[in-house]
Amino acid sequence: MIGKQFSADFFPDLLAGMVVNFEIAAIALVVGLALGALLGLMRLSGGALGAVATSLIGLMRAAPTFVVMFFLLNIIPRDAALFGVGVAPSGIMTVALSLVPYSASYVADNGAEALKQLRAGSPLGALQFLPNITRAFFVLVMSSSAGAAIGVTEGIAVILREAVLLPSLGDKLVLFAVGILFFGITLQAGFALMRLLQRYLGRRTVRDEPGV
Amino acid sequence: MRAWRALLFAIAAAFAALPAAAETPDAALAKLIEDARADAAAPAACTAANLDRLVRIFCESRIRPGVREYYPLFGTREGEVRSGYDVDVARALAKRLGVEPVFVRVNAASRIPLLAEDRIDVILATMGHNTQRDGQVRFIRPHYYQSETIMVGPRALAVKDWPDIAGRTVCVTIGNGSNAQIVSHNARLMLFDEAGVLPGQLRDETCALAAQDDSFFDYYFIESDFAARFERKFGFAQVPWGMAVARIASSERLARALDLMSQIFHRDGVFLEIARANRVSLGFLERQQAVWKRPECNTETGSENPACVLPALNADLEPTPFVGRVVAFEKWTKTVTGIELSLPMLKTMPAWSLFKDGIVNSLILVAGALAATLLFALVLGAVQSSRSILLRWPARAITVTLQSSPVVLTLVIAAAVAHALFPYSSAVAIGAAIVALGLMNGSNAGQAIAEAMHTLRAERGSVQGAGGIPTRELLGRAVSRSATQIVSFLINAAKGTPIASFIGAPELLSALTDITSFASGRATTYSLLLIFYVVVVVIVVWFCGKLRFWLERRQAVT
Repeated sequence: MIGKQFSADFFPDLLAGMVVNFEIAAIALVVGLALGALLGLMRLSGGALGAVATSLIGLMRAAPTFVVMFFLLNIIPRDAALFGVGVAPSGIMTVALSLVPYSASYVADNGAEALKQLRAGSPLGALQFLPNITRAFFVLVMSSSAGAAIGVTEGIAVILREAVLLPSLGDKLVLFAVGILFFGITLQAGFALMRLLQRYLGRRTVRDEPGV
Repeated sequence: MRAWRALLFAIAAAFAALPAAAETPDAALAKLIEDARADAAAPAACTAANLDRLVRIFCESRIRPGVREYYPLFGTREGEVRSGYDVDVARALAKRLGVEPVFVRVNAASRIPLLAEDRIDVILATMGHNTQRDGQVRFIRPHYYQSETIMVGPRALAVKDWPDIAGRTVCVTIGNGSNAQIVSHNARLMLFDEAGVLPGQLRDETCALAAQDDSFFDYYFIESDFAARFERKFGFAQVPWGMAVARIASSERLARALDLMSQIFHRDGVFLEIARANRVSLGFLERQQAVWKRPECNTETGSENPACVLPALNADLEPTPFVGRVVAFEKWTKTVTGIELSLPMLKTMPAWSLFKDGIVNSLILVAGALAATLLFALVLGAVQSSRSILLRWPARAITVTLQSSPVVLTLVIAAAVAHALFPYSSAVAIGAAIVALGLMNGSNAGQAIAEAMHTLRAERGSVQGAGGIPTRELLGRAVSRSATQIVSFLINAAKGTPIASFIGAPELLSALTDITSFASGRATTYSLLLIFYVVVVVIVVWFCGKLRFWLERRQAVT
């Protein structure tokens, strides 16, 4: 029976780990929305400010998440404090912050497109921003597995520590398949949600068109 | 005549006894303390500039030992209660001097800077004596303890010696001198600031293996639960521990007093007694007691006798031929900008070698990932566009599976399969990473090609019915049409290459992590790493822009 070779705590631990993946993605998206909106507005304003924003967005697009994570981990002292308050990020926060360059640049790009649609008189076109953000959220969930490299106990870390104790490649491959299934269901559910949202918006567009 | 003989014997005996009495460490210590106390009692002596450190200790009636607070059995603190071998040795030293110990918290990174800043008088903090540190502090001889690094892991884990750790992740503390040795056996390091977190990381299975001093794990192996789950796999890098004072002239008398006390404590079993009370290993201390009881060692100058004292661990790394220029550049940068730049990767040959290999491997990885992405995109795109359901559906299934697997998991699967087929090597790890990154990004790009193919067929069908254009040409057009998607996944593949370090590919991130585990300069090192990868990705973006332009022009022509 599949799963019989795994430890008793494996499945509860995996689900708990996946909650951490969602937590990391949510933090990264919220911070990315705030920063991306700010950068997007700066870019639209044009001039020197716009040029600075464009350069920053370009750099954020080019920054590899994994390197940013190790950069943050090593550059911020463990005892860093601001006005006497400790500001050194936890492992989860470090992973989330490392995903912010991606989420912020994504929000800036898609936000600018949405604003363009809005200015062109298509509010429903602008609402396409929502499914795009949903897509980004699930990309962030999958990318948060990088936390396993710095000791964050998220879903993949749970799978990997179980794998260390399995003797044969066959058992390990079964375990990895379980991991893909769990993450795959999550991802596909996310994309299904995104498609539903797109269809709903599409229906609204058709219904709101004159003469329909 | 008999009286004369008796007189001569008495004179000879007195002369024989006098040097013997002067040569004992006890007498030398007593005189040193007496002189320093007398100096401290002199008028205005305690307010003099550049006060001798031993005199100052008597002036203030206190000694400030720097001890650890999170190192079980050696230095721990619960509320105001400090305990451990190091703490009790400090108390014994203070008692012998007749002053009060005022403890100051230190850790592995802060102990030498705190001594240099004169915030502590003596380091008593599990510090190994190596030749690198010899230039920074004055070590007290004889050494007060000795440890070795041990590899600890779950009992179920089949690790017996160095060949078994290749490709595995080992949790270590930053600055541990034995890290370089672990790295040289192809293990990956997960770095932590404090040793105290390692047992927890082992218990919650974040770390499958942890390397740290045996003295540290002694405490945990006393716990039945820990001992039942984990075991010592093997040991290496024996290092003597030394107390240390500042390497300045005004500390020399204090250092001498501590040398003599350390000799006496070994000979009289004081260290042994303290070790027994704190349940730490006794083997080294028992051997040392025998040494310091020997007549040739039990002298005033015994601590300088190479036959009695242990040598420092030779941790000096071969410098690069251009280290002088690197140091000059660091100083110039600090003078001009105020920024403390540290370039450890350019200062020693092992670090320089790791750094160069890391850059070359990173570039190979990027080029390989781009080529593999393009190849898998074309193959999977063509197969997914096939009219045969037997070809199309398996390719779609592979694509959905790859899309559903987080990047780290896909890499680990590729590495597991590669290591089952080939013995572990850096080339195998890089190859596995290239295949994994190529498959992940190529499957997505392939899907885009297949979708473009579908639309082209639909358009052709609506215009002139099915057929008319050979499939090969149609595929070429589909590639041109999906240029934006292909380029986007090529950039993604290049951005994803640093993650290959997770499976032991020795690219630049992996190399720099190894370097910073045994050298300083983490901030500069990781800043340079970020700059390197951003530049590489920007170049890839430029290259991909050219590719897209070419593909789109080709589409316009067709």
